[in-house]
Amino acid sequence: MPAQFPLWHVRFWLALAVLLQLAFVAPALAQGTESLLDSQRKEIANVERMVDRLARQVDEQATEDGKLVEIRVELERLAREVFNASLAFRPRLSEINGRLEQLGAARGEGEPAEPEAVLSERTRLLDEKASFNVLIGEAERLSVRISGVIDHIAQLRRDLFARTLSRRYDISAALNTDVAGEFADELLQVYRTVSSWLSFTVKYRLKPLMLATFLALVAALCLLVGGRRLFGDFIKPDPTEEAPTYLGRLSVALFSTLVPSASFAMLLASAYYFLDYFRLLRTDIAPLLFAFFTVIVLVFFVYRLAHAILAPRMANWRLLPVRSHAAGRLVALAGLTAAVTGFDYFMDSVYVLFGSPLSLTVATSLLATMSVGLLIILIGNVKPFSDDDGQPKSWPSKFRYLLFALGVTIVVAAMLGYIGFARFLSQQIVVTGAILATMYIGVLTAGAVASEGAFAKSWLARRLERYSPFDETTLDQLGLVASMIINVLVVLIGVPLILLQWGFRWADLTAWSYRLAGQIQIGSLSFSIVGILTGILVFVLGYFFTRWFQTWLDGSVMARSRMDSGVRNSIRTGVGYVGLVIAGLIGVSAAGINLSNLALVAGALSLGIGFGLQNIVSNFVSGLILLAERPFKAGDWIVAGGVSGTVRKISVRATEIETFQRQTVILPNSELINAAVGNWTHKNKLGRMELAVGVAYGSDVRRVHQILLEIASEHPLVLKNPEPFVLFAGFGDSSLDFEIRVFLSDILTQLKVQNDIRFAIVDAFAAEGIEIPFPQRDIHVRSGHLPVVGAAAPAAQEHSTPETATPGDAAPPGKPRRRRKADPE
Amino acid sequence: MKPMKNVLLMTAALLISGGVAMAASAVNRDSEPRTLVVTEGGSQSELVVGPSETVEFCNSGCFVTLPNGDREVLTGSETIEISGGRGRIQ
Repeated sequence: MPAQFPLWHVRFWLALAVLLQLAFVAPALAQGTESLLDSQRKEIANVERMVDRLARQVDEQATEDGKLVEIRVELERLAREVFNASLAFRPRLSEINGRLEQLGAARGEGEPAEPEAVLSERTRLLDEKASFNVLIGEAERLSVRISGVIDHIAQLRRDLFARTLSRRYDISAALNTDVAGEFADELLQVYRTVSSWLSFTVKYRLKPLMLATFLALVAALCLLVGGRRLFGDFIKPDPTEEAPTYLGRLSVALFSTLVPSASFAMLLASAYYFLDYFRLLRTDIAPLLFAFFTVIVLVFFVYRLAHAILAPRMANWRLLPVRSHAAGRLVALAGLTAAVTGFDYFMDSVYVLFGSPLSLTVATSLLATMSVGLLIILIGNVKPFSDDDGQPKSWPSKFRYLLFALGVTIVVAAMLGYIGFARFLSQQIVVTGAILATMYIGVLTAGAVASEGAFAKSWLARRLERYSPFDETTLDQLGLVASMIINVLVVLIGVPLILLQWGFRWADLTAWSYRLAGQIQIGSLSFSIVGILTGILVFVLGYFFTRWFQTWLDGSVMARSRMDSGVRNSIRTGVGYVGLVIAGLIGVSAAGINLSNLALVAGALSLGIGFGLQNIVSNFVSGLILLAERPFKAGDWIVAGGVSGTVRKISVRATEIETFQRQTVILPNSELINAAVGNWTHKNKLGRMELAVGVAYGSDVRRVHQILLEIASEHPLVLKNPEPFVLFAGFGDSSLDFEIRVFLSDILTQLKVQNDIRFAIVDAFAAEGIEIPFPQRDIHVRSGHLPVVGAAAPAAQEHSTPETATPGDAAPPGKPRRRRKADPE
Repeated sequence: MKPMKNVLLMTAALLISGGVAMAASAVNRDSEPRTLVVTEGGSQSELVVGPSETVEFCNSGCFVTLPNGDREVLTGSETIEISGGRGRIQ
């Protein structure tokens, strides 16, 4: 082999490949669409045939509800198939559309003719599209037809149900002596079937049987052990506990019903599933087993529920305050009612399986329903409560009469021959009643969990408290959440279960929920609940994200950049508002509300806003300006409109100012923008402080000046630059006035500095003998004589001069006399 | 604040449990109203989409006939853009 592949070789093969491609692949493409059309046509035709067959079946089997449901499920599958068959055209269709667009519209008359190739390609593409359209049209027609058949089935089933309830049987035929014999025969047949199946299976298929049993047990054990671990304290009431809490009793009742019932149902369901999986179920044994398992689960559930509510042996744990004796009876009666109903249901399946005579069905149901009716009357007759004297008292009259009415209705309906109705009623009373009771306990539990402090005391909260940093308040709020979750679960599980009981099918329920979630049209306005809920959820997420972002920005980024607190506050607030607005907008658009509609509304409202909300809007805008311009920030000492104090918080509408008396003043932002605002601490806290002091006339003013300057300069908080200054301010009425002017690095310390300086002045003046004068007045008497009383009078009279005594006359002689000041004028 | 919190949590729970349904939407880029024929679940209806309007329809699969006669099948998550009477699925 040559080390190097000859170049011409490569070229040759390449050319060949291209040729081959041209020769085979292009027709293959065309063939591809051909086969797509053919295959889909075949598929749709196939579906149509099946729909024909099913539609015939519907007419043939219009009396069997189970069959109708099966047909309906099959039809729904076919509808999906038709849909998918049409969906397969989409890629090719968009390809064709794209190509057609490239080719452009056909030229009209008078325009130059198109090249032949373009014309032919367009024609070909249009033909292909037309054939697709025809097929999709057929599919559409077929899907409409399928929907029609499904609607027809629904109608048939409604009729069937009504007929079952209203059909009257001849019960005299059912009440002859042969029926007992026939009944015994049927039982014998059941026995034979079961025993033959068992002996066969044990003999030949023992291993799979053991395996199925084992697997079912494992599955049930998993659920039971898991449930017990999770709800440990809830399942078993503690007999030693004297007074369990209401919540405790409720949750024990709820979980001691649900967990064992679910485990038991799991056991039987998985047993059935595995038996089926290992092909151990024969066609005659499967329905029998299914009915048997259903009945067992039902009876078990009802019994557990009654037991949990009434707790016959543990009076402390009873939910209903009934007498112990009555509790036992009620549990027994409820269990018996369930058992009789279940027996009737089971025997009905047996009769259907073995094709027994109608009289047997009628007889069994007659007896069973009448027993149920009587049992219900008996329950109504129990006297469960105690009156004030401790004597037994019956149910509240409304409940008692309801029970009586139900019981009598069932008995009378059965005796008149309306067996179907009586049966339906008794089954619903047992099953729906049990579900409703469970739901009620669930709702009560939710209420009890939500009540204040209840959750915090519960077992779950205690465990949470141990492993998490939650405090009592948080736990209490968690209780609210828990209660809501329980409520939602109760509704979500309970309501579908009841609806299923009342003859609705699973498909109906899902269709309903889709419709609920979908668009709701009111006039031209359309919205969907899910859309709105999504919008709210998105808004909440956005809100929390904003909060988190704010905290992160403030705590991590801005704290490290050594920004001052005012800027940080501004940015933080601004980010908060922006985030909130963005979250709101995203939420609104996620809710599917068109923002352009909103703009229209806003336009209409703007006039109203202009007039009515003028102040608020002006304050709002002022708030934004305050945040952006920052004439002051939180923590500043400002003076505005007669208010002096520290700014605490700048909100969007108003600013909070705390005066030095700790009074909070809310000042609208517009006032802070429109009027002058004094800020003591705008760029820095440096400020000048003045302190006036007067000395008596005759003091040595230079010495005073020197002393004051020394005192001012010596204070540690007084700035050296600008240096302190002492002003000889003037010649006052009673004193020579000085003023100390000092600059402080922090104006907020001025009170302390004032104090210090004043103390120092008093001390210094006392040491130097400088007097701080009282206010003084000289009184001139222009005419007449003042009578002078006392010993000093003659002397006073002697020296009577126009200058008379001053109020300081009584002062001790050693003290320097205040002298009349020289008139400054 | 507390009741609001309740509502929010309830909402979240509902959303999680309910799942989210979708709908197809049609946008009309033309200056005149366009009519779509929508067949959904056995009933046929005409849907008029105004100029530059967006409508939501078809929650769970439907057949649509576009203004130019083309037929399409929608699963309920697409957006149809109508321009010049032609539709384009996105």
